[in-house]
Amino acid sequence: MKLFAQTQLLEDVQGKGLCVGCGACVDLCPYFTTYRGKTAMLFPCDRETGRCFAYCPKAEVDYDEVYKARTGRAFDGTPIGPHLETYKAKAGEKTAECTFQCGGTVTALISCALDNKMISGAVLTDSEGRMPKPRLVRTSEQARDCAGSKYSASPTLSVVNQEAKRGVRNMGVVATPCQALAISQMKMNPTDKPDFEDPVSLVIGLFCTWALDARKLEALLAEKGIEGKIIKADVPPPPAEVFVVETDQGTVEIPLAEVREIIPEGCSICPDMTSELADVSVGQVEGDAGFNTLIIRTQKGAELVKTAISQGYLVTETLDGDKVHNLATASANKKKRALAKAKEMGLLNTPDEEGRAAMRVSEGALNKIQP
Amino acid sequence: MGTATLTKDPYNLIITGVGGQGNVLASRVLGNLLSDKGFSITIGETFGASQRGGSVMSHMRISAGESWSPQIPKGQADMVVALEPIEALRVLHTYGHPGVKVISNTRSIYPVGVISGDSKYPSMDELQKTIEGLTEQAWFINATDAAMELGNPIFGNIMMVGALAKTGVLPIDRDGFEKVMLRTMGEKKTPVNLKAFDMGAEMIN
Amino acid sequence: MSQLYEGKKGEKVLFMGNQAIARGALEAGVSVAAGYPGTPSSEIIENLADVSKDANMYVEWSTNEKIAVEVAAAASFAGLRSICVMKQNGVNVASDFLLHLVLSGTRGGMVLIPCDDPGALSSINEGEARQFARLLEIPLVEAGDFQEAKDMLKWAFELSEEIQNLVMFRSVTRLSHASGSVELGEIPQTEPKAQFNYKGFILDPVEGPVVSVPVEYRHGLQQEKLKKAEALFEESPFNTYAGPENPEVLVITSSGATLYSREAIHLCNAKDKVGLLKLGTTFPLPTKLIAKHLKTTDKILVVEEVLPFMEENLKVLAQELAPEVGQKTFYGKRSGNIPQTGELNPDLVAAALAGILGQTYAPQDQEYQTKAAQQAFFNAPVRDLTFCPGCPHRASFWSIHNVLAADNRDGFVCGDIGCYSMAFLPCGFSSLKTLHAMGSGTGVASGFGKLGQFGLDQPVVSVCGDSTFFHSGMPALVNAIHHKSDITMVILDNSGTGMTGFQSHPGLPVDAQGNESPALDIPTICRALGATVEVCDPFYPHKTQQTFHKLLEMPGVKVLIMRQICALSPEKKGKKQYEMSVDETICMGENCGCNKLCTRVFRCPGLRWDEEKKTATIDEVICAGCGMCAAICPSGAITRKEVA
Ligand SMILES: Cc1cc2nc3c(=O)[nH]c(=O)nc-3n(C[C@H](O)[C@H](O)[C@H](O)COP(=O)(O)OP(=O)(O)OC[C@H]3O[C@@H](n4cnc5c(N)ncnc54)[C@H](O)[C@@H]3O)c2cc1C
Ligand SMILES: Cc1ncc(C[n+]2csc(CCOP(=O)(O)OP(=O)(O)O)c2C)c(N)n1
Ligand code: SF4
Ligand code: SF4
Ligand code: SF4
Ligand code: SF4
Repeated sequence: MKLFAQTQLLEDVQGKGLCVGCGACVDLCPYFTTYRGKTAMLFPCDRETGRCFAYCPKAEVDYDEVYKARTGRAFDGTPIGPHLETYKAKAGEKTAECTFQCGGTVTALISCALDNKMISGAVLTDSEGRMPKPRLVRTSEQARDCAGSKYSASPTLSVVNQEAKRGVRNMGVVATPCQALAISQMKMNPTDKPDFEDPVSLVIGLFCTWALDARKLEALLAEKGIEGKIIKADVPPPPAEVFVVETDQGTVEIPLAEVREIIPEGCSICPDMTSELADVSVGQVEGDAGFNTLIIRTQKGAELVKTAISQGYLVTETLDGDKVHNLATASANKKKRALAKAKEMGLLNTPDEEGRAAMRVSEGALNKIQP
Repeated sequence: MGTATLTKDPYNLIITGVGGQGNVLASRVLGNLLSDKGFSITIGETFGASQRGGSVMSHMRISAGESWSPQIPKGQADMVVALEPIEALRVLHTYGHPGVKVISNTRSIYPVGVISGDSKYPSMDELQKTIEGLTEQAWFINATDAAMELGNPIFGNIMMVGALAKTGVLPIDRDGFEKVMLRTMGEKKTPVNLKAFDMGAEMIN
Repeated sequence: MSQLYEGKKGEKVLFMGNQAIARGALEAGVSVAAGYPGTPSSEIIENLADVSKDANMYVEWSTNEKIAVEVAAAASFAGLRSICVMKQNGVNVASDFLLHLVLSGTRGGMVLIPCDDPGALSSINEGEARQFARLLEIPLVEAGDFQEAKDMLKWAFELSEEIQNLVMFRSVTRLSHASGSVELGEIPQTEPKAQFNYKGFILDPVEGPVVSVPVEYRHGLQQEKLKKAEALFEESPFNTYAGPENPEVLVITSSGATLYSREAIHLCNAKDKVGLLKLGTTFPLPTKLIAKHLKTTDKILVVEEVLPFMEENLKVLAQELAPEVGQKTFYGKRSGNIPQTGELNPDLVAAALAGILGQTYAPQDQEYQTKAAQQAFFNAPVRDLTFCPGCPHRASFWSIHNVLAADNRDGFVCGDIGCYSMAFLPCGFSSLKTLHAMGSGTGVASGFGKLGQFGLDQPVVSVCGDSTFFHSGMPALVNAIHHKSDITMVILDNSGTGMTGFQSHPGLPVDAQGNESPALDIPTICRALGATVEVCDPFYPHKTQQTFHKLLEMPGVKVLIMRQICALSPEKKGKKQYEMSVDETICMGENCGCNKLCTRVFRCPGLRWDEEKKTATIDEVICAGCGMCAAICPSGAITRKEVA
């Protein structure tokens, strides 16, 4: 891993507008913070190597190295990444009802992990007003408070850093793909300090095509005159082409074309749709709003799912082949678009003499993805 | 005027230090003491913004006759009393000459630039050598640490006055000092200041 | 104990210029003295306030300089002698009233004492009060040494009463803040009675109402008064000449430059060929006296600080007098011999004089100079200005900086005047982005806060000290509220006028003379004006930042009062609240996760970086024990223990 620090992070990520506000660089030290969905530098730091740069999913990510460290396999460009099994799933009766985004699989798995003390706590994303608000939860009841997707990019990992600093270990995290990537880089402990050992033991990844700029989304909702408390936001599968916002005062649809305007630039170079570096990944199921697509990727993930099923937290069914096929196509398309964009920006496999890259991908993977 | 005479007229004394070290008080005490002896004194001082962590300097002109400008001409200091060692060097740069003498405190006060790591503070050895190389005679005393024994680093300024008296370059005596202290500080504060004066004098040999 | 009041006639004492001026006021029998603090003027009022009860005086720190002049004028209208004292900037503030006062005229002697700061040693401008004497058409007198500082003030009162108008007595830093020998005079033991007469005819200068109309009539009268002053100046003992009868070069000087000029002649060894005409009365110039001296020589060097005020007035006179005295060559500012900016010193004057005499002036041994310069460069690191150890402003700007940076909308701070002006430097995390006159921070912010109409979407913040708030911050706040400007005003309330030496102000329960007085409560005032108000303690940065963030999100005018007493205040000075220490085993030092936040960024002078151990340490000689560094250390390495 090429190690740099704040100066380069500011230049490569903030400076190029690629920050997605994931929170990986936040609260490691006094120099980065997050406020109302935006990551900010407070004071310059003159270190030559540091975790902020090392963890950032948009700066010098060597995909082979990260994938090998996390999954034991190089990054080969397979559409939905390394995995063991795929299912259709939803919360079982042991998981109390609440407003799940889809089938409640995520909340079910987190509840199971917490109740069985497989993790010490879980870093989830709640909301405060119209801003995403990450927090560490200790109980399944608290986990239910965090159910539902906040379509804003959230600085979830800042809470991982805060809690790690306090000495919390063995955390579970519900992460978007960029966050799962950042966590994988944390796990590699690139600066080799015992204090900075991996604080995360379980990653539940979310599918993600894009997130939205939190401040801009807030402004857009205000502009659309949307008032009241948001109960749920959703992007129904094609061909709907709308962003649906349900509040306690009614439901409003905003054309996706308008919403796409407020996607952070950084999302456009993200090649991962299914959180390939998570233990399990969860997303929607096309045309089946009460269920989730569930991808089991690691042994740990498989054990969690097994426990959840056996204890009644989760129920699974088989996922139709055409659904898997469509998912793979969508994933492959995201990879293709992202790599093409990175290449266009000069950020893909940038030769040393020309500067730093956002991502480094092997020849083989490139051949497969065909950006 | 009494029997006291000056080795040079005007005798140019600079007291330098950092804001908050009691520079002004030291120059006032000396000024009053020498004024009591009938000398004509002019003191030039900088206050205000320069006190906030900056360098401060008092110029004292001591003369049997007329009053001189509150700023000493370049290269014409006869004695520099420095409450902080790099301030001695800074003064020598502008007001020094091969015949100048220096009494310097050895306790450093770091400029913010040094604290922040933007600049470096020299080692005390290096600093002493440098000052010695720019003076006819130099004395180094740790007035601040001695003052801490008296319970407050602020007494460092009076120790420097005592040290200056002991060098004999100016007609400064303990009685005169006591008189000024009683007049300006009152009876309560005089004994500890006399103690500081004596401790300062003892450090010169 | 105080020689200022107790000192007997004939006694010789060492006085600071401002003490000499204060003694002059006592010897002149001044009854009322009013002023607003400002370096280098403050000690005049301070010294008078100390003896005011013994001397049967009324002394006040007024809310601002305009009010100070008004208060002093009232005394004059009632037949008493009064002075008003201020830093040069204060004259700008007071100028509107002054321009009317000089038309209406005065009754009891009244002297305006502005102290200028050539070289801006303690200022952020180099403005001059002398120019106001011309604008106001009033006599200007300037002392050339400490004795004169006392004696001329007394004389200025006689002059004021003679012409029944205000007289300006100007001082400069190097006089006000320098000390020299002064022989004392008598302090009169009188009991003046105040009575304001207004029943006479409107044009009656002693019995009528005091007004500036009819303007043309009064303006004419005022100019006659000035003529009368000029006539008196011809005989003034404060214009002196020393030197040969027909000097090769005549140096004309005044004020602080007098001592430099005298020394410069000495440095050039030119006593026998250079004459020194020192003027105590610099506006209007005494024509006959000038004519007499112009006749004696062809070369004239005018030595004065900053702008060529005397030089230009002299040139006008010389032109008028040319038929009588002949054509002269002037050296000074316009010829480039004397700089037009910065303060003078003996060397600068000596160099100018030597140049005119065809000599060279080499003040320092070249070899020594080169060596010393080199050594100083390498071994005497620059001492930048910074907030004191334990200063609440450092803590306040820490939060202000962090909040605006986190907020991430390019918010900015409009600065104001006080110790906190230094926040444009790294010690205040370079927070201030505009910095002008007292009260201007909030005024400028009020304007910025209305630019939303044109797309300005940056948060606008102003800072204002507690003394500045009363001085001129309040009208700016009123303006912002009335116009629904979107600003957050941070009032840095350190319980006193910090920069100038902790003078009282209307927010404090005590006045200049030490009397108990009603303290005006800043939060109550701001609330009554209609602002949303919060109060916090900057030594609790977390809470402070939360509150500040909250206010920043709100529209309209918000006031955040950051309240914590100045580290140099009499209550706090020298007393540590906490004993501080750094746990070396916990300190992260240069490692990722801290990288010397306390020394590299926070920069309190009480901290040090131990290059060998690679940890931070506390410099117990300097540390004021405020505890703030413990609150910011990311690892909890800095600990504080309450001092019993
Ligand atoms: C920004 C975003 C984009 C998405 N895009 C797609 C997509 O294109 N296709 C698709 O199939 N699925 C997408 N999803 C996933 C989908 O919306 C559901 O989150 C997922 O199906 C799990 O549903 P569930 O019922 O199990 O969730 P729940 O049981 O309701 O739990 C939701 C969990 O998501 C976490 N969460 C909420 N918002 C965020 C956030 N902004 N960042 C990190 N964690 C968060 C919460 O902490 C909670 O634990 C996206 C999710 C997000 C947050
Ligand atoms: C018109 C004017 N008058 C006086 C001054 C001198 N002056 C500079 S700073 C200051 C004190 C301001 O006090 P405060 O606002 O309480 O701030 P602090 O110094 O205590 O931080 C004064 C009076 C000035 N610069 N301008
Ligand atoms: S993308 Fe994440 S890690 Fe990178 S700069 Fe933004 S918040 Fe920090
Ligand atoms: S301390 Fe470490 S994480 Fe923080 S800015 Fe510096 S290098 Fe980055
Ligand atoms: S802020 Fe704390 S951890 Fe960092 S260098 Fe200072 S004492 Fe050490
Ligand atoms: S406690 Fe810390 S911040 Fe306060 S004066 Fe001491 S070193 Fe400075």
